[in-house]
Amino acid sequence: MSFQRMWRLKDFLLNLVGTKCLSCGYVYYPPKAACPKCSSRNIEKVSLGSTGKVISYTVINVPIEGFESMSPLIIALVDTGNGRVLTQLTNVKPDEVYVGMEVEATVRKSATTLDGYVPYIIKFKPKNSS
Amino acid sequence: MLSKVYVVGVGMSNVGRFYEKSLRDLAAEALFKAIDDSGNLIPEYIVVSNMLSSQAEQENLASLIADYCGLRGSSGFKVEAACGSGGAAVLIGYSLIASGLANVVAVVGVEKLSERTTPEVARGLAYAADADFELPYGISFSGLNALIMRYYMMKYNVKREEMSAWPVLMHENGYYNPYAHLRMRITIDDVVKSPVIADPIRLLDSCPISDGAAALILTSEELAKKYNDTPILIAGVGNALDSTDISSRYELDTFLASRLSAERAFKLAKLSPKDVDIAELHDAYSINGVVTLEDVGFAPKGMGAKLIAEGRFRVGDKPVINPSGGLKSRGHPVGATGVYQVCEVVMQLRGDFPGVKTGGEVGLTQNIGGVGSNITTTILRR
Repeated sequence: MSFQRMWRLKDFLLNLVGTKCLSCGYVYYPPKAACPKCSSRNIEKVSLGSTGKVISYTVINVPIEGFESMSPLIIALVDTGNGRVLTQLTNVKPDEVYVGMEVEATVRKSATTLDGYVPYIIKFKPKNSS
Repeated sequence: MLSKVYVVGVGMSNVGRFYEKSLRDLAAEALFKAIDDSGNLIPEYIVVSNMLSSQAEQENLASLIADYCGLRGSSGFKVEAACGSGGAAVLIGYSLIASGLANVVAVVGVEKLSERTTPEVARGLAYAADADFELPYGISFSGLNALIMRYYMMKYNVKREEMSAWPVLMHENGYYNPYAHLRMRITIDDVVKSPVIADPIRLLDSCPISDGAAALILTSEELAKKYNDTPILIAGVGNALDSTDISSRYELDTFLASRLSAERAFKLAKLSPKDVDIAELHDAYSINGVVTLEDVGFAPKGMGAKLIAEGRFRVGDKPVINPSGGLKSRGHPVGATGVYQVCEVVMQLRGDFPGVKTGGEVGLTQNIGGVGSNITTTILRR
């Protein structure tokens, strides 16, 4: 991930902005240029909110290149009630995570990119944890 | 109006990690075997399938392979659809013949991954997911499929032991396949106790990272019957796309593109799932095999793993699933896998596959790119 690529994505990766179709009402994340369901280009940006529930999760023990220092990595699919987000969980141990866990968004550091940039992105932590 | 298209030659290299062989060596081995098998039909087009040749620091593969194999001046290009590149290349090769644009086409799938370490290859594979929105979190392909596996097992109350029946059956079949990467038998206990890659996916739920090449010679009806005693008809092909990300999927426990691509191929072939005698499905992980077994129409939703655990889909059943051993045991030379599947089913229908033999009249292959985002189904008929 290059510096300029992360900069382009800042609105989405730091604010969890998805898209809502103004023709059929479908809301989804990541954002698209047209609605996947009805193909309408009549769409608007919509905030997904900052809380949700874990609907599935995994603990990755074999990291991809660039994420070795973050292993084991806890990845979850979080349903915000306004779209699903694939995210990393933080402030929690792997064996403490469960489906249905209530989580909230927080800004954290991600792994240094291959070109040496340290990106900050939204992760999720257990609700009301510090 | 589409003209009929036949497979008249197949060739495969062994699947494995071949430090002594280059990408072009593997491609030449498979292509020469396929040309020889066809009765020496010389292709006008070379359609190459590959995903990650950049990891072997080589692009422009059609020119490379054609020229290395004495076919300078022929036509060709590479087709890329992530791990589904092979199936996509078969579809393109099919359409070149069906449209009348060419009479003889070689489809060459090749992948050379042993040049790189596992983290480097895992990162390359992750580029087939949504790199803008998923890569910043460090998600691997194992991780993405693990999210689906956990969701599926909870929704349908599938036990760990039931999921483990898939890789056990694959290794039982692959044990007899001389081309297979991992030729050893395993037990349910081996799977359950194997190291966790991305919970709940364990090592023995996962395909190996493989090198390999496979090739097909496709031709028109006229040439097929002139040159070959056992041409196999490509009765149908179908491709379908879904989101690269899994966040915006309509369902997490089903692959929309699996169902749609199968429906499109069956419609073209005027056949249905109950007509299929043998199928090669894309089990990069146990969960992929189980989900697509259901989405293609061979098992009711939520029942795929349970039916395998009950003993279904072995030789003597209809259909037989993955007599090659599947991606789990045969291995997964990524961009070549879809071509391997077609080679294997063609040999089963001809009766000369050198491993577990199924017999039968109708075969199906399904090749998945991404986490179910680019899927091609091929239906073959004796």
